[in-house]
Amino acid sequence: MVELKFYGIGGQGMVTAGKILSEAVSLYEGKYAITVPSYGAERRGAPVNTSIILDDEPVLVNSFVYNPDIVLVSDPSIIDKGVDVSEGIHEDSILVLNTEDEKVLDAYKKYDFKEIYYVDATRIALDNIGKGIPNGSMLGALAATGIVKIDSVESAIKITFGEKAGEKNARAAREAYEQTKKM
Amino acid sequence: MAYKMLDGNGAAVEAIKMAKVQVISAYPITPQSTIAEQLSDLVATGELKAQYVRVESEHTALSVATAAELTGVRAATATASQGLALMHEVAGMTSGCRVPIVMPVVNRGLAAPWTLWADHGDAMSERDTGWLQFYCQNVQEVFDLTVMAYRIAEDENVLTPAMVCMDGFFLSHSMQKIDIPDQEAIDEFIGPFVTKNSYLDPEDPMFVCNLTGPDDFTEMRYQQKVGFDNSIKVIEKVQKEFAQKFGRKLQIIEGYRTDDADVVLVALGSMCGTAKYVVNKLREQGKKVGLAKVTVFRPFPFRQLREVLGGKEVIGVFDRSAGLGGQGGPLWSETCAAIKDYNSDIRHYVGGLGGRDVSVRTIEKIYNELLEIKNGTRKEHTEWIDVKENAMDIRQVLKNA
Repeated sequence: MVELKFYGIGGQGMVTAGKILSEAVSLYEGKYAITVPSYGAERRGAPVNTSIILDDEPVLVNSFVYNPDIVLVSDPSIIDKGVDVSEGIHEDSILVLNTEDEKVLDAYKKYDFKEIYYVDATRIALDNIGKGIPNGSMLGALAATGIVKIDSVESAIKITFGEKAGEKNARAAREAYEQTKKM
Repeated sequence: MAYKMLDGNGAAVEAIKMAKVQVISAYPITPQSTIAEQLSDLVATGELKAQYVRVESEHTALSVATAAELTGVRAATATASQGLALMHEVAGMTSGCRVPIVMPVVNRGLAAPWTLWADHGDAMSERDTGWLQFYCQNVQEVFDLTVMAYRIAEDENVLTPAMVCMDGFFLSHSMQKIDIPDQEAIDEFIGPFVTKNSYLDPEDPMFVCNLTGPDDFTEMRYQQKVGFDNSIKVIEKVQKEFAQKFGRKLQIIEGYRTDDADVVLVALGSMCGTAKYVVNKLREQGKKVGLAKVTVFRPFPFRQLREVLGGKEVIGVFDRSAGLGGQGGPLWSETCAAIKDYNSDIRHYVGGLGGRDVSVRTIEKIYNELLEIKNGTRKEHTEWIDVKENAMDIRQVLKNA
């Protein structure tokens, strides 16, 4: 069982990203997944998160993730908005971060993540889809950790966004996957 | 098998669509809204050949669906929380006229304070209005129980409407992989809608719900009671047929690792999945714990529950509704009545209100308390299992303190 927590801000499509990841592993890798989105009174710009649990067997737990194996942060500024992205992590927890800014990376080094995978997913989203909505490209970065195949992510993105928008978002995911670095 | 990724609302829509309803009348309310929206889309695109009646309230939504079904077509609506409360007056009309509507209820707490999140208080407030009530553990069960509900509700020996209850957000918005059978198989299983008993026909007018004096009222209620009594056998039959046809076995009460269990927890809804996970986890530690999952709450299946709980010394019952003013919540009261002649110590737990997560930790805490009670190392239990310590201090109005 792998537990993931996606953090972002309203409007970045993080709940959708959780659903796409679930689709990717469930429909293309023969695994099981559930998403448990934490809906509040959402509005654009407010911190949001979503929980995803993946397993080789049907997932019994129907609850939020408290001890994530993987934390994905699609907007680094949320740590300035009172969100502790390291809440509940353990010694093997991994971070996937939307930045290539050295200062931001330094700020995130204070958390005890075992590894940090990072890429400027917003820039890649702007280049490929013309909008700074990084959910597709962040899933590409997530694929770089090996938890899901990039081919599965691309297929799930195309189903979710439809043929035209799906192509662009899938391209963003592939590009992010190829550019993701690890530290 | 054809796997699809759907959330609970999507699974309910899929089942309603495959039941080929011909009239839909729904009013959107969080967290049910996507059911109303998706059904409306299906009608707009022509994928579902039905009439969608836009209404100004849930009161009218259920009135329209009830009257429509009386004209001889399968009708649909769905609601949650305040919407269900607004339907209350009509709910008794639907059941009393023996109109077997199947209605998803996306469980959400009732105001005040205002909430959008999971709590069984809404459905529990309707538990005596003459509707069958089924509670779902996961998204697959939302689909399966909705499909089965048509067969059960419309059976001529039952003719009783059914609420298919799913926890708001934890199921309604949780994306899961589920198996959807093909339309042909569903057609064979559910069959076309056939009017039984009362009907509305302008060519042949009939007075429905006329003023009924004390000489007949008791008998009309008794007929409904017999419908409920009959439903247990029908549910068993339908579940068996469903298992044969679609390969998934659902039970009225599911005893999960209860046979040799020292303590058993009785629960409803999505928390049952998490409870099963905890049962497996504690079993690995050598702790003999089990779960009695209540899928059917109305009719309350006391015989089936008695079987699962027979010989258990310590039993916990988890109510996801406050049961204000009662000795315990509705599930606890029913459990106590079902096993009143057993020599069991039955502990009442309340939790998961207004969307509070029923986590692995919460359920572990309950099982460990129950085991300590069984071993004689504990007397008191924590009835409000997840209440914060500062409960009495929050939102105190200082001006009037």
